[in-house]
Amino acid sequence: MVEKKPAVIEKEAQKDALELLRAPAPAPLVPLPIEVLVPEARQQTPAVRQRATRSDARTHGLGQTKYIDDMYLPGMLFAKIKRAGVASARIVSVDTKEAEAMPGVVAVITGRDIPCNTFGPSLKDQPVLADERVFHAGDGVAAVAAVTEQIATEALEKIHVEYEPIEPVLDPLASLKLETPGLHAPSPNIYGHKVIKKGDVAKAFAESYRVFEGSFRTQMVEHVPLEPHSSLATWDPNGRVTIYSTLGRITLGRADISRTLGVPMSRVRIIATIVGGNFGGKNEITTEPVVALLSKKTGRPVKCTFTRPEEFMSSTTRHPLIMDYKTGVTKEGRILGRQIRLVLDGGAYCSWSETTLGKACILSAGPYKIDNLYAEAFVVYTNKTMTGAMRGFGAPQVCFAYESQMDDMAKALGIDPLEMRLMNALEEGSLSPTSQKLHSVVVKESLLQAAERFGWKNGNGSANGSANGSRT
Amino acid sequence: MAEVTMTVNGERRTAHVAPETTLLRMLRDELQLTGSKLGCDVGDCGACTVMVDGKSVNSCLMLAVQADGREVLTIEGLATKEQLHPLQQLFEEKGSLQCGFCGPGVLMSAKALLDENPDPTEPEIRDALAGNLCRCTGYTKMIEAIQAVAQLRHERPAAKSVA
Repeated sequence: MVEKKPAVIEKEAQKDALELLRAPAPAPLVPLPIEVLVPEARQQTPAVRQRATRSDARTHGLGQTKYIDDMYLPGMLFAKIKRAGVASARIVSVDTKEAEAMPGVVAVITGRDIPCNTFGPSLKDQPVLADERVFHAGDGVAAVAAVTEQIATEALEKIHVEYEPIEPVLDPLASLKLETPGLHAPSPNIYGHKVIKKGDVAKAFAESYRVFEGSFRTQMVEHVPLEPHSSLATWDPNGRVTIYSTLGRITLGRADISRTLGVPMSRVRIIATIVGGNFGGKNEITTEPVVALLSKKTGRPVKCTFTRPEEFMSSTTRHPLIMDYKTGVTKEGRILGRQIRLVLDGGAYCSWSETTLGKACILSAGPYKIDNLYAEAFVVYTNKTMTGAMRGFGAPQVCFAYESQMDDMAKALGIDPLEMRLMNALEEGSLSPTSQKLHSVVVKESLLQAAERFGWKNGNGSANGSANGSRT
Repeated sequence: MAEVTMTVNGERRTAHVAPETTLLRMLRDELQLTGSKLGCDVGDCGACTVMVDGKSVNSCLMLAVQADGREVLTIEGLATKEQLHPLQQLFEEKGSLQCGFCGPGVLMSAKALLDENPDPTEPEIRDALAGNLCRCTGYTKMIEAIQAVAQLRHERPAAKSVA
């Protein structure tokens, strides 16, 4: 049987209505004269000397910018994390019964409730909440979701954790020794190593007029963003989680969140909010899996904001470095060879240590032409707050060392420190320690201009230090 | 629970809060005025600065009940529907804020300063901002903006009335 096609009933009026609904035809594509600006080396881009205002300046000034802590979802709970407070220990037991019984407490989780309790930007050595072992005092051991922040904070005191202390490793030089027991056994504590070799250092030292040795140390530095770390999670009925987060790297964070929750990445949605200061400290997840799990357990949105002490104890910091420099120079002050050993205190977890190690090592020779170089860097675990990315990934620390030694050498040789730097500075086309050919090199020009601006030659600073203390 | 009634940005507002609630918590949690920020909760960073009866205070150190019956001005009360406060205008133009988290507190400290001293010297401005921490831009551009507002009021005294 042949199917009869139904007649198309199409009245004129309907046709007009359909026409109206149709989207207007798009304008034909016109090739625009797009000028592709690829600046040559040393050429200023057109943006230089232009005035601009931030697009978010007005809402910032009006107090209308919404950071995560300014967000309140209906039925939202507040989470707080119990911190270990001991540098190194085995967790014998975590008793949450008393906290759970508190009026206003909706859920409590411990490290054993995390589906996959390891994460990290490079090495997966960090637990979301410590389960078996505490590696530093800022480790979380349990988390509470309650109807108010105050109740959540109070509930933390009702969680009883029994620890069996383990001797902590606090000195990075002790940690460097292979006989020191590894924090993350069975591996030793050295978890990153890099060597840069160029020329023959021993020969250079033998030919040197003098060889200077110096040891330099820098301290741990916290980013202290004015806005503490914060995140807010909520699940939809289809099993997808939405997390508002202060993360600077949401795609990387999404992978870690998916891993720790044991949920496919397609079910994790991260909304990056306006960040109240990052400086490298918000490049990895912190509270995100905790709020997601508490939200799943309670069926309500959960927010967790770090307290200021947590910001210092439980977020990453800048690596303290122990830097040993040995530099051979001619009588005139030209550097013939340099040998460097860097020991980075990595804290309890890897975080961004590998990046920091690499950059510190590459930049450790300074902006100077050194034909004979041996730079070696190690990063080791210690039972301290973990160290990670911060403004320069190791560059500021090594700068302190090589510039300090430069001043020491200039003083000992009786050379103007500016002259000594000019004599050794990189030039256009110089090779970096890793043999990268450098372009747009303006070290000498910058030094000379700076010296002129603050009157170096007129006594504002000299080889023997400043007469009026304004040498900067 | 304690009943607290105060005038906030010219409006009478009442809330029932636990006695230990700080003024900052009340403003943020009860009155939904989230412009004032919680940065440290111990009076070090100044992100929570508001004005109570014309004086700048760290609202994280003041209990809500202490502000009962008093007049509170927060960052949300600085601009009118028609125009920005000159401080907000100049902070925007001079690029004084970056991440913006310290901004509301800094602006309130600056307002308190200019109300008391319309023509402050640079050290006086630095002194007034001593309780406000900024980690992004530094203070130079904030000081420039505050000086520019003081200058503006010299040139156009009428600007004083809107401030």
